[in-house]
Formats: sequence, structure tokens, C-alpha cells
Amino acid sequence: MERIPVWIDTDCGVDDALALLCAFQLPELEITGLSATAGNVTLENTYRNTRDIAALAGRKDIPVYKGAEKPWIAAPRTSEYVHGTDGLGGAKIAHSDAPETEGHAWDALYSKAKELNGELRIVAVGPLTDIANTIIKYPDFPDYVKELCIMGGVLAGPGNTNMTAEFNIMGDPHAAACVFKSGIRIVMFGLDVTLQTYLTKEEVDVISNTGNDVCRLIGEATAKTMALYKTLGLGEIMCMHDSCPVLYLAHPEFFSGKECCVRVETGGEHGLGKTVSDLYSDAKFGDKNTLAMLKVDREAVVKLVTDIYQSY
Amino acid sequence: MTMKKRPVILDGDPGHDDAIAWVVAASVPEFDIKAITTVAGNQTLAKVTYNAQRIAALLHLDVPVAKGRPVPLMSDLIIAPNFHGQSGLDGPQLPEPARGVSPLSAIEMMAKVLRESEEKVTIIATGPQTNVGALLLTHPELKDKIEVISTMGGGIRNGNWTPAAEFNILVDPEASYIENVSGVPLQMCGLDVTEQAIVYPEDWEKIRALGNPVAKVVAEWFDFFFIHLSELGWKGATLHDPCAVLSLVHPEIFDIRDYYVITELGGQYTRGETVADVYGITGNKPNCRAVVGLDREKFVDYLIEACRTYDGWEVE
Repeated sequence: MERIPVWIDTDCGVDDALALLCAFQLPELEITGLSATAGNVTLENTYRNTRDIAALAGRKDIPVYKGAEKPWIAAPRTSEYVHGTDGLGGAKIAHSDAPETEGHAWDALYSKAKELNGELRIVAVGPLTDIANTIIKYPDFPDYVKELCIMGGVLAGPGNTNMTAEFNIMGDPHAAACVFKSGIRIVMFGLDVTLQTYLTKEEVDVISNTGNDVCRLIGEATAKTMALYKTLGLGEIMCMHDSCPVLYLAHPEFFSGKECCVRVETGGEHGLGKTVSDLYSDAKFGDKNTLAMLKVDREAVVKLVTDIYQSY
Repeated sequence: MTMKKRPVILDGDPGHDDAIAWVVAASVPEFDIKAITTVAGNQTLAKVTYNAQRIAALLHLDVPVAKGRPVPLMSDLIIAPNFHGQSGLDGPQLPEPARGVSPLSAIEMMAKVLRESEEKVTIIATGPQTNVGALLLTHPELKDKIEVISTMGGGIRNGNWTPAAEFNILVDPEASYIENVSGVPLQMCGLDVTEQAIVYPEDWEKIRALGNPVAKVVAEWFDFFFIHLSELGWKGATLHDPCAVLSLVHPEIFDIRDYYVITELGGQYTRGETVADVYGITGNKPNCRAVVGLDREKFVDYLIEACRTYDGWEVE
């Protein structure tokens, strides 16, 4: 089977780790490169976590590049209260001894995209700073990207950062605005679908009780996030936000959505970081730049990810 | 025994759905309609004022009609002739005005009604919020006399005139913002509910079949209003403005949530968006009863019932 070449840009946090651990083990995907950006926690932490998770999965061979340390213009924001100070909820994990990779994320990403001549798929599950940096530095970069699959934004519901904005987009609204105007084909997994893509406490327990190191880490890393969700009244669940775009590349049949146009608001008093779509409105922006995912087959996701994590 | 009546001011920019909202309002026994005030929006002020006079004549509403501001508080006027035609109320023939336009401005008329009323007054504002915003700014001493401002405007999920903003609010976002922060009780029927308030052709055929002169006109308004909506892909007529009336009279058929709602004034894509704090992120207390859903069948039943109250009227 020919594998789909994928690049993953992540602000590795807890749900990012779950996504990476899926990605490495899906037989349909070939992870050709990783880059870390600031977001859930600081760049120092996301870079270390990305390397450590790759090493845990036995994939020290995949290069991990350092991305942007802070957003273009907006004030940096992190979310330690969800992911813990280290970004992995305090879970015990061995530090990777792989040699560090030189160079900026955007240069490496562009080289890989060009090398693969239009076949590269990108998964971006943090703020979009690295992707936007690649776009502004390399005007022909969009031509070499088959699909940019992002976790970010929300179309039909409230935000989780301010009244209207989702955390990853709010992490760098200006970069996100650049990406959505770049002409790159975007597959968007916003809160509309990612809040439907969760594991219950019982389902997490099945995984964490399996006995391999990956499953043990998942149990430790998710405990803090699930406790927080319970406190917030959202139920003791683990949302698999960042796993959505990864799973989609291997199993597009799990998800369904609609084509529309999305723009990112960067002005206004209340609108900063809102992903404004024309999906539900009579008024249209004109072009269609996004396949916005709206529904997921949760049962299929739970079965697959359980199998994947247990297979380590 | 006499029923205690609820004093009401109808403020709008008729407009087909404003007109139908007023047909419903005039049929409600507990409403005591004190005045009609007009505002530029669906069409220019002169046109919507003439329409308001003709609707009043059709409904035998012997109340003053007062002209509001010809333009929004600070923006340029936007109008919607593609929906409502060149007159703002194209379609059926209407009676000519039975009385002239009041010498008072809409703002002075509203202030007069508020000042003279013993009961608190309900304002049903189904156009841009220009007059109401101006009233709140220039007569702060009368705020306490307002029972509720029931508006059709905005949308928490989506807009219609831009992807994020609904027409009435987009025309005058500042006026809407002034309401948001006024402390006056607000009830908002945004697109969240009004795009579910769909009346299908078979529904308005039932109205036409009532045969009374008002029902016939209402059915013909639907015929016209539906032309542009069907071009946009709607399978029925979205009856926006009557929601602002029926959600006061029959709240039990609506899904109403208490939210903090604030209108965006800036932004490249979001000016005029009614932003709701659904998760309580801001810590601000709810300032608005946001109507977000309804029982469509019951809504249509009440609409038909309202039109039935005109049975027995002679054709003029």
C-alpha cells in the first residue's frame, strides 16, 4: 500500500500527543516531518514533548523542527491549566536522546513540500504561525500542498477562548487569517466536530489499563484534562481534538462536512480570532476555501484509536 | 371585567414581514397599541412611512404614525429593495392612509407615550434600532418606563447580509449596542429563531382561504416576499418580524435563553454581529432574553389564528 506523506505541526499538549501516537501507527500514513510551535505551552515545552512522544513511539528517525516562539502580533497565550506546566499533564516520559535537528520549521516544511511535488498533506493542530511563515516566505508553497488539515476554529457554536474564538486560531489570529486567504485547500476540524470526538473515562481506562508504555502515558497524561472537564460540567471525557485531522487522512469516511468559505476576523472589539464562515448565511464570500467538518462517527473513532494504542 | 391592557409601540421599516408582524400585533386582545413609528431600513424613510400609514388603514389602527430618523445614528443607510420591492411593500393593493403623519418625530412620539403611560410600555422594534437607540440616548429619564424592547435582529450563529451580521443590526450597529448596554430588558429574535420560523406555501394558502380582506393581503404579501427568498434557495418564507410579537404573547412555544449579548462595532468581517456569551466567559450578567428556537407548527397555527380575527371585515 502506498502511504500518504504527512507533515505534522503541533503545539504538543495532551491531545496533540494522542494525535501523534495515532499518526505514527496508522499504516495509511507516512510521517515525513514534525515541527513544534508555541501554543498549549511554550515552545521549549512543545518542542521537547514532540521529540519525547516520537521517541516513545520508537520514531526517533523522524526529524523534529523548531517553529515559531510566539504569534505574529497577538499576545502569546498558553493553556497550562488544561495541559499542565510541562504540557503533558505531568505524565512521566523519558527524554529523547535523538540528535537535534537544525533549521527553522518553515524552511524544512517548504523543502519537504517541494520535494514531494504536491503530494504532501499537512496536519496543523496548534496556532498557524509556522504554516503562515512558510506561506509568506515561499509564495509558491500553496501550490505544493495537497491539503492542509487543521484543528482550529468553530463555525456554529461559541468559542472556548473568548466569546467567539477557538484557542488555536486565537493563538495567532493574524497568521490564521493569512492561511485562510492563501489559496491552500483547507480541511477544517473546528469545535463543531472535535467536541463530538471524545473518549469517555471508561474508554480511556480500557486503553490505559493495557500495559504498554504508550497506553500508560495516555492514562497519566489525560487525567488532569479529564478532571478539568468534569469540573467545568462537560463530563469526564477526553476530547480528541487534534486526532481528528490525523484520523481523517487515514479514514476520511469517519467524517462528513460541507464546502464553504472561512475568513478569520482580526479586528473588532469582540471578534478577534473568530472563524467567520458563510456556511449558514445567505451572504457568501464568493470563493470556497474550506471543507468544514461537522460530523464524526464517534464509535468508529473509539474502536480504531483503542486498537492503535493497544498495538504499541 | 375588563382585561388589563399592555401598552405597545410598534417601531419598524415595513417591509412585508414587519407588516405581517403588525397584523399579528393588532390581533392580540391584551395589546393596546399606542403609536406606530417608522425607521429607514428595508426602504427609505418616506416609503416605509407611507407603507406604515397604509397598513394602519388596512388594520383599522387609529393611532398616530410618527416618522423616525432618515438615516442610522452614524452610518450610511443600507436598504433591501431586492426583498421588498421598490415601494418597500410591493404586491397587493392597499387602502390609502386614513390619517396624516404625526408632527412629532418618532423619538418624541415614543417619549410622549412613555411619559403619559401609567403602565410600563413594550416596544416592538422590527427594523434597524435607530429610533430606539436615539430614544435611550436622549431620554435616559424614561428608561424605567420601558417594559421590554422586543427586537427582530441579529443572529448568534450566523448573519444574512454578511456572513456574520443580520440586516437590521448591520444597518445601525451602534443603535443596537446602545440597547445592549442600556440596562433595559431586551428580548431578541435573531436569525437563530427567525430562520426556523418558516411558513410554507401550503400554510399561507390556508390564510388566503380565510377569505377576509386582511388575510387576502397577507397571503399576497407572502406571494411577493417569497419570490426573492426562493431564489436564495429557501423552501418557504422566513417570517422574521412576527417572531418579535409572538415570542411576547406565546413565549411557551419558543426556546428562550438568558445571555449577555453585545453588538460588534468594529471588525473586518464581523461589524454588526450580535456576539453572545454562551459559556459565560466574560463574567458579564445576561442582558438579553435571546430567542433561539420555536415550535414551527404552533407558530403557524398562531399566525393563522391571528389572521382569522379579521373574519367578518368588509372588503374596502
